[in-house]
Amino acid sequence: MTAFLTYTVLGLVLGAVYAIAASGLVLTYNTSGIFNFAHGAQAMLGAFTYYQLDVAWDLPAWFALAVVLGLLGPAMGLLQHALIMRGLRDTEPITRIVVTVAVMLGLVALSQWLWDPQEARVPEMFFGVDSTVTAFGVTLRYHEVICLLIAAALAVSLRALFVKARLGVLMRATVDDPDLLSLAGHDPDRVAARAWALGSTLAVLAGVLITPVIGGPLEANALTLLVVDAFAAALFGRLRSIPLTFLGAVVLGLMSSYLVAYAPTDWTWMGNLRHSLAMVVLFAVLLVLRHDRLRGVATRSRERYEVPTVRRAALWGGVFVLAVLAFRQIIDPSSVGLLHLGIAFAVIALSQTLLTGYAGELNLAPLAFAAIATVVAFHAGVQGEGADTRLSVGGLVAGVVAAAVTGALVAVPALRLRGLYLALATLAFGVFVSSMVLRDVQEHTLFGRTFSIFPNGNLLFPRLAVGPVDLADDDVFLLVSAVLFAGLGVGLVALRNSGYGRRLAAMKDSPAASAMLGQRLLWLKLSVFATSTAIAGLGGILMSMSLRSVTKDHFILTLSLSLVMLSVIGGIGYVSGALLGGLIVGAGMTALVTLLSETATAHPQFGGTLGLLAHLVPVSAALAGIGVARNPSGVLHDVFAAHRRLATAPEIRCGAVAVQCGLYALAWFDVVGTMSFLVLSSALWLCLPRIGAVLRPERVPGHRPARPEVPELIGIDSDYPPDLADRLDERLGISALRAKVRGSHVGA
Amino acid sequence: MSVLEVQGVTVRFGGNTALRDVGFTVGSGQVTGLIGPNGAGKTTMFNCITGMQAVASGRVLFEGEDVTGLGPGRRARLGMARTFQRLELFLSLSVRDNVRVAGDIVRANTRRRFPVDAETDRILELTGLTDIADENVAGVPTGRARVVEVARALMTRPKLLLLDEPASGQTEHESGRFAELLRGLADDGIAVCLVEHDLPLVMSLCSTIHVLDHGTLIASGTAEEVRRSPEVIAAYIGTETVA
Repeated sequence: MTAFLTYTVLGLVLGAVYAIAASGLVLTYNTSGIFNFAHGAQAMLGAFTYYQLDVAWDLPAWFALAVVLGLLGPAMGLLQHALIMRGLRDTEPITRIVVTVAVMLGLVALSQWLWDPQEARVPEMFFGVDSTVTAFGVTLRYHEVICLLIAAALAVSLRALFVKARLGVLMRATVDDPDLLSLAGHDPDRVAARAWALGSTLAVLAGVLITPVIGGPLEANALTLLVVDAFAAALFGRLRSIPLTFLGAVVLGLMSSYLVAYAPTDWTWMGNLRHSLAMVVLFAVLLVLRHDRLRGVATRSRERYEVPTVRRAALWGGVFVLAVLAFRQIIDPSSVGLLHLGIAFAVIALSQTLLTGYAGELNLAPLAFAAIATVVAFHAGVQGEGADTRLSVGGLVAGVVAAAVTGALVAVPALRLRGLYLALATLAFGVFVSSMVLRDVQEHTLFGRTFSIFPNGNLLFPRLAVGPVDLADDDVFLLVSAVLFAGLGVGLVALRNSGYGRRLAAMKDSPAASAMLGQRLLWLKLSVFATSTAIAGLGGILMSMSLRSVTKDHFILTLSLSLVMLSVIGGIGYVSGALLGGLIVGAGMTALVTLLSETATAHPQFGGTLGLLAHLVPVSAALAGIGVARNPSGVLHDVFAAHRRLATAPEIRCGAVAVQCGLYALAWFDVVGTMSFLVLSSALWLCLPRIGAVLRPERVPGHRPARPEVPELIGIDSDYPPDLADRLDERLGISALRAKVRGSHVGA
Repeated sequence: MSVLEVQGVTVRFGGNTALRDVGFTVGSGQVTGLIGPNGAGKTTMFNCITGMQAVASGRVLFEGEDVTGLGPGRRARLGMARTFQRLELFLSLSVRDNVRVAGDIVRANTRRRFPVDAETDRILELTGLTDIADENVAGVPTGRARVVEVARALMTRPKLLLLDEPASGQTEHESGRFAELLRGLADDGIAVCLVEHDLPLVMSLCSTIHVLDHGTLIASGTAEEVRRSPEVIAAYIGTETVA
């Protein structure tokens, strides 16, 4: 009985910490409509800072606590709100998610830069481990009592805040109708800023409390994933109700505690289950949540994507394959693997173009589906021995089908609900795959067969051989992957131009109108999700083939998130955006870091600076992701728009092609290095519209043409044009008045 | 005969009763009007008919069958179509594609041959949208955007067409043409039901008019009957309360 009580109380303590984290999440989501994926990362930063102050610098605990809770927490929240979140009005869910994901990745990169992840940091409990209190035979440490007390106090005060206090009522009003709130004389921005400050402080508090409760050293990634536990708890209250969130947190904490206590010891996979408990709970809750009521959205988001014709796409597909082959000739054979990897990631990113760019649905863990495809293909289709080991076509197909089926299974519970829930479900699935499936190195016996999912934690993945085509040869593999990417890309463009693609666009723009035309939304979503995870699976197999030896680290969630983020930076509505994102994640980052470290070895005197630069690479990628708020259609959208201005000056384009050929020749004869070739080529094409405007000013317009104005909004969003203003004045008989007072003509 | 029959529908939002025991019918081959002051519950009624709003009590019959429990998609596939008061166009598509996608949906649902492109051209011609067919729908002024919504709804070959304030934002000339279009549709046998504030348009166009006020049906009948009804006059103009 005492043991049961002890485990119950320990579960409650864990639940209390989850509740603190989850209530912060609910608070910010409800006041700004932005689901903060960086919540866990903020907790992590708080925990590390507290450790640094309290343990490393040996400052008093109360002082350290005052700094992190009084300074760091609110400052992070206010900064986030001021710099980023305000710019997210009128954007699609993917943009909002990517921005907070970018903050999360940035904070993780920052923490790994400041605090070397190799070093173990064990934070202490408040008042140490020896200060205990005993009641009913249960011995509790002061730290645990404090957790319970804080959570209880928080529950009461948050309830009071939302029901009684003016600020809380304003916060609720901000969600319902910020415009109405500002008409009533309040500033919704200021209200939201306070909510962010409070939410961020709660995250920091949870971060400081949790590690001693769970035990072990501080771990940046694990703490960052606290957000998953928090949102599983928040889901109990549909991300809205604070009391139900607390209930969810307690359920989660108790389940976790009882699992440790009472699960049979021969369930070998049990140890891993604890890590993905949140995901199991999350899916269970998703299944019972009520269907969202369809309602009109009617607002226009800022994202824009042009749709190319199939012919144009086919042309560019051909150019891409030729460019890859040409590029292969001027790079070192040892870097071909990197190029393979880049293209494989680009294929995985294509799944996002279909899903997010065309259909407006979300998947935050494409690599989890890539992992499923890899594992299934490995188990189903490896033939031959030693150097002759090859993947069979059957294995490839089995892997792709498995990814599609898994995708459908993951999506089904979330599809009835809004896009955010699908994002959460896929994120949770990503955690599940990396913490359960890929860690599963033990042998199981099922139906009389003994197997292990991920033998020895390292799959030696062979390459595909179909008839005479053997991908074991690097050049053949490169050609096949390039052709595959081009083919898939053209296929996607053709799909977007078909009736199916138009139906996807319609569903994305207005689910309500789409349903009222008879569209079966669930089936459409399900089909597009399964197709997209199939593409991700194919990309995953390609990636495993290019690596030849894969470990679980190749599929980690942060990599998935980076890929999604960079595809959005490139332009998620474009095949080329996927290409850009994939190449940067798969090849660019590694190439850059390798280059930096090589330079550092060659010139040790710059070692410090170059090391700093290597740390800055992931941080700056995250900063670019944050910048998506400013330009949600992606970088390539602007580049394409600029290039369209050159349509009237073909000679500029021809000249650029000639210069490009010249650059290639220089690279061929090793006059310029590969890196310089790439930089110069990109610079050439990026600057071409500017160059064109300078060289042929009469044919290339220097700036983009003004957007067509909606007639109703003249005088509201923009000034009256002078002639219209004059006519209005004349009709109103105020021309004489206007001669006296030179007022502006901006409407109400 | 009546295509649509609403029986005793009640809707509550929290403590507010948006609709109280409302019942009326909409006949095929006619234009039926649903009018009432702001906040009378007209759009809520449309949402109940199309399945976007659950009813607290009451039934919705479509062609004699109870559809109260069905979702919007099911009802649409049975032959209902609607437009929205706050426009719900597919803003990333052109005008033509907005209409065409409705045909794509029909084709995907029925799996029978449906000449999407030919039908799109016919509907664009019928609704007079051919001149702006290739424009981006986001740039189309509200008055014509409402016609795009009607064209899109017509692509599904509906038996019942529900129009939520189709003439608001239209110029006088546009709404004149629009009335012609609706008469033509009714003559083809479609049951047209519209919510509208433009009373002269409603009075001239509708053979039957239902009047809602504060969630209650206060009058039904021809334009002339409704015009004379003391309840309607009271609702629109107000009465002098005698102490």
